[in-house]
Amino acid sequence: MSEQVTLERSYRRILAWYPQSFRAGSEDEILAVLLATAEDGQTRVGLAEAWDLVRGAVRMRLWPAAPRPRSVRVAVKLMLAGAAAELAALMTVIATLGSVRAAVAARDATAMQAVHLHQVTIIALAPVAIGMWLWLAWANGRGQDWARPLSAACFGLISLSVIAGLAQGAAAFAPATMIAAAVVWTLGLSSVALILTPAAGRYYRPQPAQQ
Amino acid sequence: MQEATFLILTALADGSQHGYGIITEVRQISEGRVKLRAGTLYTALDRLRADGLIGVDREEIVEGRLRRYYRLTPDGTAVLAEEAARLHANATAALRRLNPGLAGGTA
Repeated sequence: MSEQVTLERSYRRILAWYPQSFRAGSEDEILAVLLATAEDGQTRVGLAEAWDLVRGAVRMRLWPAAPRPRSVRVAVKLMLAGAAAELAALMTVIATLGSVRAAVAARDATAMQAVHLHQVTIIALAPVAIGMWLWLAWANGRGQDWARPLSAACFGLISLSVIAGLAQGAAAFAPATMIAAAVVWTLGLSSVALILTPAAGRYYRPQPAQQ
Repeated sequence: MQEATFLILTALADGSQHGYGIITEVRQISEGRVKLRAGTLYTALDRLRADGLIGVDREEIVEGRLRRYYRLTPDGTAVLAEEAARLHANATAALRRLNPGLAGGTA
């Protein structure tokens, strides 16, 4: 009997990692299942079992299961894709650093300065951009209303950077980078359009339940 | 859809089940291959409830502990049927290509 009490206490210590909203409704229920699946005489939580519980807790905290409308779910996926595209763009710039410089030097040495500025800007800003995409994906997934204007503002910045890139003539000396920028821009446009739909609006600003 | 989610919905397809019941059903359906753990199960149930694919059928107190029964909603039934049809079509195509001689032989 005391074995079960010890085991129950260990389970509860891990269940404390779960969000309060989940524990209030389901802690006793999941505990009953854990005790039912425990081995006879088991007094400690197994490693695999503990890992599974902690993983569930982390997932629930990062991605709470609010009834997210489809538009928001898709927008979040597009934002994660945006982070991936940004990473791909960064790697492209680094991989083509030398060849782009060589091509420009051979064609028009006066453009060297613009190329240098373009490359340095991208390498410096891409990690920040990746972080922003991930952060906004997380915040939008949770229905934080401030994330919507912020996402729209970030999309504005992306548009400006694309225009700046075009003005610098990047399309000529770094076509791969401009293709990546176009992909990022499209992802930004679609995700912002999705979170501004009326269905998404109801998710970000829930109306009080009508009785 | 993840396999665990698919199997959980399948376990509920012919009637309501409580958490432990779902674990045993899933093990049976998968012929012992998938052993759901409580953390995975409840994370999935939480999400499925939020998405409106399952609902709470009833609650009972057994030996002083809450036992909650879950059932498929009409949405959940539709999503499961759709996914099952998709998997079935894929499996049929795979078998047909592996055994061209048997094409159309078995349903």
